[in-house]
Amino acid sequence: MRATFPHLLHLDVALGILYPTLGIEIVPPPPLTRKTIEIGVKLAPQNACFPLKVTLGNFVESIEKGADTLFMAGGVGPCRFGYYGQIQRLILEDLGYKVQFILLDHPRYGIRSFVQALRTMTGGKISPARIVRATALAWKVLRFTETIEAKRRALRCLVERKDALDRVVEGTLTRLRWVESVTALEEIIRSTEEALRALPLVREEGEVLKVGIVGEVYVAQEKRINFDVERLLGDLGVYVHNSVSTVEYILHTLPFTRSREKEETWRLARPYLQRFVGGEGIDSVGSAIRYAQWGFDGVVHLYPFTCMPEIVAKGILTQVSKDYDLPILHLAIDEHAGEAGLITRVEAFVDVLERRKKTRRKSEVGRAWTYS
Amino acid sequence: MKVLAVMVGIPRGLLFYRFYWLWKTFLEELGVEVRVSPPTNKAIIRRGLTYGVEEICFPVKVFLGHVMAIQDEVDFLFLPRMVSFHRREYTCPKILGLPDLVRNLFGISSERIITGEVNMRDTGIWGWRQGFLEMGRRFTRQEGKIMRALKRAEEAHKRYREKLKTGILPEHLIDRREEVVPKEKKVLLLGHTYLISDSYINMNIVQKIHTLGYGVVTQDMVDEQRVRKYLSLLQKPSFWTISNEIMGTALLYLKERDPRLKGYIHLVSFECGPDSLVGEVIERWIKRESETLPYLRLEIDEHTGEAGLLTRLEAFVDMMEWRDAHLESNLSSSLAP
Repeated sequence: MRATFPHLLHLDVALGILYPTLGIEIVPPPPLTRKTIEIGVKLAPQNACFPLKVTLGNFVESIEKGADTLFMAGGVGPCRFGYYGQIQRLILEDLGYKVQFILLDHPRYGIRSFVQALRTMTGGKISPARIVRATALAWKVLRFTETIEAKRRALRCLVERKDALDRVVEGTLTRLRWVESVTALEEIIRSTEEALRALPLVREEGEVLKVGIVGEVYVAQEKRINFDVERLLGDLGVYVHNSVSTVEYILHTLPFTRSREKEETWRLARPYLQRFVGGEGIDSVGSAIRYAQWGFDGVVHLYPFTCMPEIVAKGILTQVSKDYDLPILHLAIDEHAGEAGLITRVEAFVDVLERRKKTRRKSEVGRAWTYS
Repeated sequence: MKVLAVMVGIPRGLLFYRFYWLWKTFLEELGVEVRVSPPTNKAIIRRGLTYGVEEICFPVKVFLGHVMAIQDEVDFLFLPRMVSFHRREYTCPKILGLPDLVRNLFGISSERIITGEVNMRDTGIWGWRQGFLEMGRRFTRQEGKIMRALKRAEEAHKRYREKLKTGILPEHLIDRREEVVPKEKKVLLLGHTYLISDSYINMNIVQKIHTLGYGVVTQDMVDEQRVRKYLSLLQKPSFWTISNEIMGTALLYLKERDPRLKGYIHLVSFECGPDSLVGEVIERWIKRESETLPYLRLEIDEHTGEAGLLTRLEAFVDMMEWRDAHLESNLSSSLAP
């Protein structure tokens, strides 16, 4: 068995650590490129959402590299993601690929197939203790990849040399692929933090524009798909925070592991959207409100074109934007999205935010003067 | 002094075509006057397009247009949150968030919207009743009265669904329009009822098919139990109820061949999420199982032109006839002793 799995930002780093320890030979998915997208777009149904197409392209490229088993997660709806596996399996079967599709679906679609999928995905014979240990390490690595990306997007507008920042982050990500124990991981964490602290800053956090990112879990994170909006914003001198995280996404599937932050997000969204509408619809609404409360200058909403939960969120965010006086830029991403157009829109958005900040500061100064 | 009855408005769109009789009877049994927005027209669509979300699917835009058309004439809007009306399944996310969308897009206050979460996904009939109890409490405190109203409504709903099985379309029943005469040759017209039954937004497709010499069968005309039986052929059915019914019906006619049925037409709205995947499943199953049954996917949105639709239908009818004449006769002659 030579297994493979789809990309999701740095998920391949974590899974690349997990599977070899479990004794499963893996074919790491080839890097996500234009070609991957092209393959996916050609094979997938025309109106399917973009992540389905990209992950399908992923699978085809991995199969051509020699993978014969595909690991994929399922779902219970109502978001289309839960049905990706079924569609992709049909398409790959019709293409004549002789591969095994292992779908980890919700136990309600058959407890036996769930256990079987889980057993295949964890290598079968290994002791539970070892599985737990390996998973714990992979989990920590995944968490750290998110922490370091968060650091990168926060620091980008502050550091003197952006290339130095990228070098630190990329270097750490490469080193993470070879981590074998928790101690080694802690060593990497420590040295990375040191390296980041050593970067000379030219500005302070208080004086820059702040933008939060909300949206769908795949598109809002996967920078190879969303034209690296975070980087673009950082280069324009904007402090970026991303509310979307794979760790949170995995935790949230189980009711007893949901973080308090997530519950809080949902509570914030309730006055506008009373219930879960699939995917991250309610999280987008709640996180936007949270950014408004934190005093952020604007929000960028990233989602795949025609994504159902995010379109509901988009309709509701127009009202949030009015009520909290919070500018929101909606960016729908699919294979037709052009980079130039996207850059222009982001630049214009940042211009608007800058002007707003200036006029507001001016009026505050004016008011202080009249009162004094 | 006679108290004026409360006027409740039902927008004519989305699940309206499925639950009209249920909702109407339920409200009327509670002593409420019901008003339905007029059949879709140009002005309604234009309003929906102007005030809706740009990327939302066409039927939701139409629905929003209906909300605008009726909101000033009524005291309350009836927008039940139909989260799920089948165990383990959902309706689509847009329907889940519909009351919130209406509230936020049009600034209608929550007091003017009668909504309740009807959710049979985990709790079955209990969740169904809870939803209607929640809505009924807006008019009366007597739970017994609400439950009686719901019971009457369910009976009316059952009668309505039975009538649809005889081959009548919802809009013919609701507006008492002239029915189409059945034809010998048929096509299976798949698609959400709110597309098939709104002859304004589908550009009178049933009539057009009829003029070309074919009658239609829709998934509402097929026995639900049989549909569910064939649905279980799939490794995993989808989690959207109406899409499941569409898939189940397609599989049923694929397995139990009806010689009068000459082809499949799948009517989808351009940005429909579930149908984008379900259509693919149906198309691939048809390709695997059958050489003779052609499949046509017709996408409808606000930009669809009537002439283009007609041309595609005509071409499809030609193809059905060609295949019927060549493939079937070849098959039978080669099988003949």
